[in-house]
Amino acid sequence: MAIGLMSDSETYEIPTGYLYTRDHEWAQRKDDGNVLIGITDYAAKMLHDIVYVTLPAVGQNLSKQEVLGQVESVKTVSDIYAPVSGTVVKSNDRLTKEPEVVSSSPYKDGWMLELKTKDYDSDAKDLMTPDSYRKYVAELSEKD
Amino acid sequence: MARKSHLYSFHLEKGKLTEFSGFDMPLWYRGIIEEHHAVRNAAGLFDVSHMGRYSIKGKDAASFLNYILPSDALKVKERRAFYSTLCNENGGIVDDTVTNKIDETDYLMVVNAGNREKDWNWLLAHSERFSVEIRDFSNDIALIAFQGPLAQTLMQKLCDLELSQIKRFGLAYCNVSGIRCLVSRTGYTGEDGFELAVLDTPLDDPTKALKIWNAILDLGKEKGVLPCGLGARDSLRLEAGMCLYGNDLDDTTTPVEADLGFILTKENGDEYIGRKVIWSQLKNGTKRKRIAFSMKSGGIPRHGYEIRLAGSKIGTVTSGSFSPTIKNGIGMAYIPPELSEKGRMVSVQIRASEHPALVVGTPFYDTSKYGYKRVPNSN
Repeated sequence: MAIGLMSDSETYEIPTGYLYTRDHEWAQRKDDGNVLIGITDYAAKMLHDIVYVTLPAVGQNLSKQEVLGQVESVKTVSDIYAPVSGTVVKSNDRLTKEPEVVSSSPYKDGWMLELKTKDYDSDAKDLMTPDSYRKYVAELSEKD
Repeated sequence: MARKSHLYSFHLEKGKLTEFSGFDMPLWYRGIIEEHHAVRNAAGLFDVSHMGRYSIKGKDAASFLNYILPSDALKVKERRAFYSTLCNENGGIVDDTVTNKIDETDYLMVVNAGNREKDWNWLLAHSERFSVEIRDFSNDIALIAFQGPLAQTLMQKLCDLELSQIKRFGLAYCNVSGIRCLVSRTGYTGEDGFELAVLDTPLDDPTKALKIWNAILDLGKEKGVLPCGLGARDSLRLEAGMCLYGNDLDDTTTPVEADLGFILTKENGDEYIGRKVIWSQLKNGTKRKRIAFSMKSGGIPRHGYEIRLAGSKIGTVTSGSFSPTIKNGIGMAYIPPELSEKGRMVSVQIRASEHPALVVGTPFYDTSKYGYKRVPNSN
C-alpha cells in the first residue's frame, strides 16, 4: 500500500497471528498451509472511506511484492502488494459489493486473497512480527 | 509553511488536514462519505475562506467587468450573484468566479484559492483604462458555506432577515448571530444553501467567523449537520456537475468547450477579452466538449484516464470519483462534440482494462430527491 496521509493519535489494531509488510499488508498462514492476505487496520484508517477494491482472478500467479490490485477511497487509488508469492485460490467476492468491510474488519471479513504458496518460509523471513510492525507504525505516526 | 484560513484553529483541532492550493485545509472531519450524505440529507458547513475575495468598485465597475468577463454584468440585477469566467485572448479560462453585484458600482468577486495571485494580477493589468478601485478583502472577510436542505430553516434562527426573501443567486446584507454578513443563496454542492461573507473579520482575529461557525454547528447538532472538508466539497460539486478549476477548466479550455454556454450572455459585437475565439467557436464549433459520464459496471474513473470508443482514445477524464449518492463511479471528460450525445456508451481505460460508461446529463442524482430544486423558496 502506498499511503500519502500521515496519522494522528489514533490507535491501530495489530493482532498476533499475522505477519506484516512495510506497505501495510498482512499475511496469515492457515492450518492447511494456504496463506490469507489483506491490508492492515492502519492502512484502512489512513485511506478512510474505502469504496472500491480490485483483486486478481483465481488462478493468477503472484510474485512477492508484485502489485496484486488496488484499494480506492473517494479520492485516492492505492496499490496493494503481494506480501508473499503464490497462486490465487480464492478471492473475497464480498468486497465487490461491500468494500467498506475492509475498514470495519480488516483482519477477518475484510481478507482479500487466499494464496497457495510455494516458498512461504523464505518469503516470510523479512515480514514483520506484530511487535516490529507496531514500532514501525509508531515511527510513521511520529513523523507527522 | 502553508497559509491558514480564518477557521484554521477549528480545522487543526477537529480535522484531517491536507495542503490545498497552498493552504492548510481540512480534507475531512468525520469522513468524506458521512459529510457528503450530511449535505444531501441535512446540511453541512464549509470553511471556504481560502478563496480570494476582490472588491471592484467605481463608476466603471460594470464596464470593467464587461471587458474581462464573457457575461453581461449590466444584465444582472442588483443584489444578485452570477457565475462566469475570466478569459484570456484565446478564450482560455483564467479562472471561474462568482461575482456578487451589490449595486451598479460595487461588486465582490470570489475566485479560486489556487488562482488568487494570478487573478489579482490579471484584474490589475486590465483595469488601467477604467475608473475602478480593486481591493483584496481575502484576509478581511471570512467565507463560510452552509449547504443542504435544512440550511434555510436552521440559519433562519440566527438571522435577522427573512431568508426566503433571498432567492437562488440572490444576496442581502443581514446579521447572523448578531454579526454583519453579506449572505448569498449560492454554493458548490447542488443543494440549497447560503454563502456567508463575514465582514470585518481579519485573519489574525477570526472571532466573528468562529462565533457564527460554532453557532450553526450547535444549532444543527441534533439535526445531522456536520462540518465538512474539501473531500466532500469535491464529491458534492462533481455530483452536481460543477467544474473544478485546474481539473475541468484551465487556461487552454474555453467556456464553449467547457459547455458553459449559459454564461455567454453578451450580444455579438460587445467587446471583451477572448471574444473573437469564443464567437468563432460558437459559430464554427469546437474540437472537444466537456461531458459527464456514469460508470456502468464498476470501476472508478480518475483525472487523466483515457476515454475510448471502438478501440481508440477519444478523450481524457478531467474529474472522476465515486459518487456517494448514486454509489458508482462518475466523472467529467472532454471528447469530440460529435460523439458527445447523451446515451452514448464509451469506455474508460482503468489500468489494464476498459470499463463501460454512459454519457449522461447533470446533476448525476435524481433532482426530485436531491438538490436545491426540491426546497421551497430556493428557485
